[in-house]
Amino acid sequence: MSDSSIPTLPPPGQILLVTDELASPADFILYRSLAAHFKGAAGKSTSARCLVVSVSGNLAKWKAVLTKSNVNLTQLIASRSLVFLDVASTHFTPEHDSAATSLRPIYDQIRGALLEGEDTLVILDDLSSLEWIGTPGIEVARFTRAVCALCRKSNVMLVLRQHVITHGELDDLLRLLLQLCTYRVDVFPLSSGRSGSVSGQIALHLGAGRRETDFRPIPRSRALLYRLTDVSSIFFERGTGAGVL
Amino acid sequence: MSSFKRKTSTKQGENPSGTKLLPGSSSVLIASTGIPSLDDILGGGLPLTCLQVILAPDAHTGYGELVQKYFLSQGLASGQDICVIHDHPRNFVEGSMWLPVSSAHAADDDQEEKTEGDDAKIKIAWRYEQMKKFQTTVTSSDQSGDNFHKVFDLTSKMPALVIDNAVAKKQLTFLDIPSLEERPIRRVLEQINELLGPEETEPSVRKPLRICVPSFGAPVWGDVEPKDLCYFLYTLRSMLQRHRHACASVSLPSYLSEESWGGPGWINKLGWFSDACISLSAFSANPSLSAIFPSYHGFVHIHSLPAPLALVPPSDKYSSLRGLSSSGENNLAFKCMRKRLVFETLHLDLEGGVSERRTT
Repeated sequence: MSDSSIPTLPPPGQILLVTDELASPADFILYRSLAAHFKGAAGKSTSARCLVVSVSGNLAKWKAVLTKSNVNLTQLIASRSLVFLDVASTHFTPEHDSAATSLRPIYDQIRGALLEGEDTLVILDDLSSLEWIGTPGIEVARFTRAVCALCRKSNVMLVLRQHVITHGELDDLLRLLLQLCTYRVDVFPLSSGRSGSVSGQIALHLGAGRRETDFRPIPRSRALLYRLTDVSSIFFERGTGAGVL
Repeated sequence: MSSFKRKTSTKQGENPSGTKLLPGSSSVLIASTGIPSLDDILGGGLPLTCLQVILAPDAHTGYGELVQKYFLSQGLASGQDICVIHDHPRNFVEGSMWLPVSSAHAADDDQEEKTEGDDAKIKIAWRYEQMKKFQTTVTSSDQSGDNFHKVFDLTSKMPALVIDNAVAKKQLTFLDIPSLEERPIRRVLEQINELLGPEETEPSVRKPLRICVPSFGAPVWGDVEPKDLCYFLYTLRSMLQRHRHACASVSLPSYLSEESWGGPGWINKLGWFSDACISLSAFSANPSLSAIFPSYHGFVHIHSLPAPLALVPPSDKYSSLRGLSSSGENNLAFKCMRKRLVFETLHLDLEGGVSERRTT
């Protein structure tokens, strides 16, 4: 099944990088990872925990979309299995200086939320916005490196999201992320523009210097197509209808 | 007559003034932008908690500000609260359009449409007589009981009495841009935060507030860099999401709406920081485009669309202008007629143009 060719979660202690473009946003990949984490942990002995660090906020949207996948975020937040950190409301309020804000408080909050011996997933959405609103590039790079090192040390799964705004070109932050990640899920639009039946394409790349283990890389030339519905996403191979077209 | 009484939906009257529920959703409220075809592109209207950014890269025309005027006129006509952020906000509002002077005028078509009506009297093949006229746009029926959308007339100016009443009732608030301050963007954000009041987590029953920022980033805002504009949009959007009764519409001046100002990927950044980002690229600077498309005034490029509580923007399913439900997406254009601004589907003219059509 095409759905299993794209990893939903990285192996523990590893990093999954998700990149997307404006015409093909990858929100659905993040929602899929969260749902898979909590559903997968249902049969295990350790309880699943998740920390979502959302730069663009909007807990209401996460709740609304995940309810359709039968994951009740309100209940998870109440039971402390899910911590939703809305960076905009805590760290970037109107009173703040827009430039040169340190990301140290966010890092400390992440570190504080990780507990020993728990099956934890951290989702960081997204890094590019931090840089675009004026945080110096070097600060974002250091923050990213620190969070990656923290997750590796604590054996925690980390999913990072980065927006690509210049098609086919890499910026400094993306170059750094490619060095750090284990897998890169590359979500990009159809070259012919939007279509009613296909929402975009997904390719899978290995991080720098990684060996292929559970998932085979999928180059852009053989990218999977996906279609978003109200409830979820459907993946299918290019050139096949697979009941979608 | 049975004693069975149908349970009428009482929710109809419970929506805050000038809003209605997004089709297909039970909790998202939408407000009209004042332009029915733009409402259709957005999926019914602009949802509350969403930020709309209108780009108008052409330096010779002011379509971005025209859309802002529709936005605030619609808010006033629907009884909603409006906040205008501009260096001369009173002047800006005085130049806005209003409802037609009398209902007779509202029923009149424009001059161009009248001539098309005359053409229809020519004989056409019988099998086509029943077919509807080819529709390129979406119009609204002005139901007088409906507070959601009003039909505005560009030839009718907003009466000073309406503005004075609105200011006196505190329905209309003007926020000046504090250009003497060191960081006007931060000061404006603080003022907006005060105006929005306490935060809410549930859908609101408070009176909707529209925040209108025409020419955001103009010289009066100081020396702005791309990161300052991004910071403003980011913080404004986050405030809108935490105060669920407001929506905002921002338009950028022409020189800021181009990729050349903010560097590669600038338009994409604006798309990521807003819920709805649309460019109105007018043809006035490009005579060849005006010649190829004589019946339109510019292209409409959609960069992002609002999807407040769903994976897929409702516009994909409900927009008849975009046409995604049938096949590939339609090309869109806009046209400013004498009495209204219309967004419609873009179609190529007859080959060679009407004036060059051969008859021999």
